[in-house]
Amino acid sequence: MKKPTIAIAGLTACSGCQLTLLNCEDELSEITQRFLVDYFPLGLTERCMTGPIDVAFVEGAVSTPDDLETVLKLRSYSRLLVAFGTCALWGGVAAMKNHEARRELAATVYGAAADGMKTFNPQPLHRFVKVDFAITGCPPEKGELLVTLAALLRGTLPEFPSYPVCAQCRGRENLCLLIERGELCLGPLIQAGCHARCPAVGIVCEGCRGPVAEANVAAEVRLLLDKGFSREEIVSRMQRFYPEWDYDQRD
Amino acid sequence: MARNFLGHESLAPFVEILAGRGELHGPVLTDDGVMTFGPVRAAAELQLGYRRTLIPPKKFLLHPCEPILTYAPDTGYRLPDSPVPEIILFGLHPCDLQGIAYLDRVFLGDIPDPLYRARRSALTLVGLSCEPDEFCFCGDLAEGESSACDLFMRQVAGGFELEGMTPQGTALLEMVAPYLTEGDSPPPPSRTCALADTIRQAAARGERFGESPLWGEFAGRCLSCGACSLCCPTCYCFDIRENGSLDGESATRLREWDNCLFRAHGEVAGGGNFRKSRVERFHYRYQHKYLGFGPTRGVVSCVGCGRCREVCPVGIDLLELFKEGDDDAQP
Repeated sequence: MKKPTIAIAGLTACSGCQLTLLNCEDELSEITQRFLVDYFPLGLTERCMTGPIDVAFVEGAVSTPDDLETVLKLRSYSRLLVAFGTCALWGGVAAMKNHEARRELAATVYGAAADGMKTFNPQPLHRFVKVDFAITGCPPEKGELLVTLAALLRGTLPEFPSYPVCAQCRGRENLCLLIERGELCLGPLIQAGCHARCPAVGIVCEGCRGPVAEANVAAEVRLLLDKGFSREEIVSRMQRFYPEWDYDQRD
Repeated sequence: MARNFLGHESLAPFVEILAGRGELHGPVLTDDGVMTFGPVRAAAELQLGYRRTLIPPKKFLLHPCEPILTYAPDTGYRLPDSPVPEIILFGLHPCDLQGIAYLDRVFLGDIPDPLYRARRSALTLVGLSCEPDEFCFCGDLAEGESSACDLFMRQVAGGFELEGMTPQGTALLEMVAPYLTEGDSPPPPSRTCALADTIRQAAARGERFGESPLWGEFAGRCLSCGACSLCCPTCYCFDIRENGSLDGESATRLREWDNCLFRAHGEVAGGGNFRKSRVERFHYRYQHKYLGFGPTRGVVSCVGCGRCREVCPVGIDLLELFKEGDDDAQP
């Protein structure tokens, strides 16, 4: 069997998704035996992209001309391009203020130095290139990455759950923070796969994995309003990892 | 008069006897205060006055997600062969007993499920009488099923009246004999529930409530969180996933609880979906639960435990269908 060639790259992000790969300590040697790594600036001394690449895992949002150049190059070199993590798939934390003026945001952070900065609103990859597959999460689950790599060895892609965090949360017999404690939990809107890691330790779901398919956004917002949260609080929490919710969406 | 009365003071030795026969699980509280069927270390932990657990006892027979087949080049295809522990489930209410009786029909029918069968034969069921609350509505739906266990404990003044329902239960009674005295409690009053009767009658005439405006209301509110089905003692739908391993050769087939309100439940290869809308999914849920499919056609699989009504974050209650235009039927 020919070894698939992979690339792991980061755009505007924290590198946490790429670290998920490096954190697969028990599997790393198996991974390096099964795959050829062509491009991985975070993990390889050699930093040039030679291609052709079978699968590129791309972390982060696109927010600079450099990002755009990198993602276009990866796309043109690769058979499959995987949005790796919430920023690449949904915009993520970097995009939470996309509704505010970019220039002013840059000035707030960088002062006068912001003047010549070439940045634009952080956007998910699919705005610029065709995305073949996604592993969501901030950071992604190690297990989902490994399942994906194993599937790629067989020339296929895995099927991830398309139900919300609540399903796995109930399955763990956690206390429901939304119903029992009346807390601002986003579990019903958010893609499962994390095994409700946060609610299991009493922390509400903050939505780091992005929207679940067919989320009933309108019903969740209504429920939270009825519990006494203000629309501002709700929207602010929801925008933390995904700025483009359709608040009227029901299915 | 039979010697079948176990005083409260003798519960601890009884529990010890049970624990000597396998893993003892019963209604206990988790650290977060969630009622669960969990390991019982001492009789004092048992929540004998509990109303319902969050997750029903089906979790002992069908795990939320588990391997059902593995493949490796050197061993070929293999069914799970990890040892199945003897488990004594203590304190199941009649509704949960009926839930297990229904799952038996499904998984031990024409083609028995090997994993289910192994776990079921290693399970000893000790039933416990209960008092209804504002969510449950079993009435006679479940009452007749207090016999669907090995030993039934009826809570009476000062203790319990024990009744062996199977040879296994009778054997347990003999082991506990030194602690039993003659009981003199009056027979339990018969419990009726108007809603249970309404459900039975509607199911018998194949009622589908096709014109009800409630379907649209349910679908508009439903978050598809899955709680109603995960917490249902008779929901058994499952999904199958196959994950390869990194060695490129071995693989595992997983069985995971599924839910008819999930989008993927009716999804088939090629992206088609038998139930594209949430309204269709609600019709499906109702019809499976109250009218039955295939070999269980005509079997009402709602046991009246009330879990789905209690756990729904947006207060959806399928029973409203039965109550429409019937002001007398109260839960």
